Amino acid sequence: MTIDAKAAKAPSLVERWIEDQREWQKTAMAYLDSLVKNDDFLVHLGNAMRGSLLAGKPYPAAPAASAVAAAPAAVQDGPVDDRLDRVLFALHEMQGQLTDLRFALDELGNGRKATKPARPRAKKTASAKARVAKRGRKTSDARKGAGRTRR
Amino acid sequence: MIPEEEQERELEALLELSRRGRAKLERLHEVLTTPGHYGTGATPSQVVYTENKLRLLRLLDENGQARAGRPAVLFVPAPVSRYFIVDLLPGRSFAGHVAAAGFDVFVIDFGTPTAEDRFADLPYYVDGLVRRSVRMVSRITGQAAINVVGYCLGGTLSLLYAALYPETVARLVLLTTMVDGDVQGGIAWVAHRMGLEGESYDNPRLVPAAEVKSWFEMLAPGSNSVVGRVSDLWERLDDPAARLRDVRTMATWVDDVVPAPGRLLAELYRQFGPGRNTLLKGTSTVGNHVVELAAIRMPVLSVSAEKDAIAPPQGVDAIKKVVPHAEILRLPGGRGGTVAGRTAAALWQRTVEFLAAPRG
Repeated sequence: MTIDAKAAKAPSLVERWIEDQREWQKTAMAYLDSLVKNDDFLVHLGNAMRGSLLAGKPYPAAPAASAVAAAPAAVQDGPVDDRLDRVLFALHEMQGQLTDLRFALDELGNGRKATKPARPRAKKTASAKARVAKRGRKTSDARKGAGRTRR
Repeated sequence: MIPEEEQERELEALLELSRRGRAKLERLHEVLTTPGHYGTGATPSQVVYTENKLRLLRLLDENGQARAGRPAVLFVPAPVSRYFIVDLLPGRSFAGHVAAAGFDVFVIDFGTPTAEDRFADLPYYVDGLVRRSVRMVSRITGQAAINVVGYCLGGTLSLLYAALYPETVARLVLLTTMVDGDVQGGIAWVAHRMGLEGESYDNPRLVPAAEVKSWFEMLAPGSNSVVGRVSDLWERLDDPAARLRDVRTMATWVDDVVPAPGRLLAELYRQFGPGRNTLLKGTSTVGNHVVELAAIRMPVLSVSAEKDAIAPPQGVDAIKKVVPHAEILRLPGGRGGTVAGRTAAALWQRTVEFLAAPRG
């Protein structure tokens, strides 16, 4: 093949530019296709636009000020009524204590010594004492309240 | 007027720029549409215990069998991030490597706290979740004392636990675990600047993930700027897709922090924050129990990372002051890379040697 024939076969700059535009269209279509077919893709793309490849969930962001203002008081900082959460957490603690009891019984049954902390209990600090006293008052108030309800 | 040849060269350069930009976007598309090990752990495992949001996982071998009869190792990750940093990807799993070296490995997944968990405090984690996990491992394996590997805040929980129940811990490995809260630059200092001292113990809130994330971002210069992050990602898109999938798994760990119980943070700050520093002063408490670090007589390996901005190495290596027999290992590199990055092999190998060494 002569040099002239080779030159004639190589695409011109304009042809290459048109081809490049076609490729861009294909890339854009691939993104659009994924947006339509894959629910997670928009979340992943949004993360990438924040510079993160975090998968599966949106990048952690503080809620907008309007959303915070619209939220019920209970889900904002400084909950007004958190009794249900306190009860739920107390149930979690009880679940753990029951497991501890089961472990201790099993260990006693197997003749193994149940594990105890290596150190004696700490002397309570003044603030700890105040907390305990405050909790005691709360519990006592709650009992009185419950009594009133029953009556 | 621009000569025709020069004009053509400039157009060629523009076409090349266009081609490279398109190639990056195609690679990004490929990565974003390919499933991977996103937060599910890399090694097959079975759940052997659950409590509240906690899952205790036991790693299985390639035949789906537990490595029964081998020395037990319990990994305790940080409760404010996801557990799978210790089991990131096949071939890049710290826990998987230890298991393959002949140990019966268990991993705690603390899960994602919800509103009621804001009341969880230090005793709930140390004397509750960690203690019961250790007891469950002991019960399953029949070993009275097991090896414990704590990472970051999980290391703090492990250290406190080992001091309270030393007879149940055979060997203790602490990874990037701050002991000296007065060392400037760590998470306690950021928390101090962000007003964590104002976090209420009595009326705690569930600290949102975005807020926890912002503390970590403050410690890593550049990572809190969206422009900087986008620019970094754009540069990375030249990497092969397989490498980008690894990067994505790591990014999923780094960016997917979980909300934190306010009561735990308030207590951590009150005990270990700047100026308090109860671990070094020997005045730490877990509930009503005094933590006596002198009770720690089992072999201890403490690992710090040279470029760790969250737990600066000086604050980590300070364990030598309160546990003098602790072996100190300082590795080059940053925090995550030390555990699961390309430089992690040194840590894995040393840990396996430490765990396997006969007790002298």
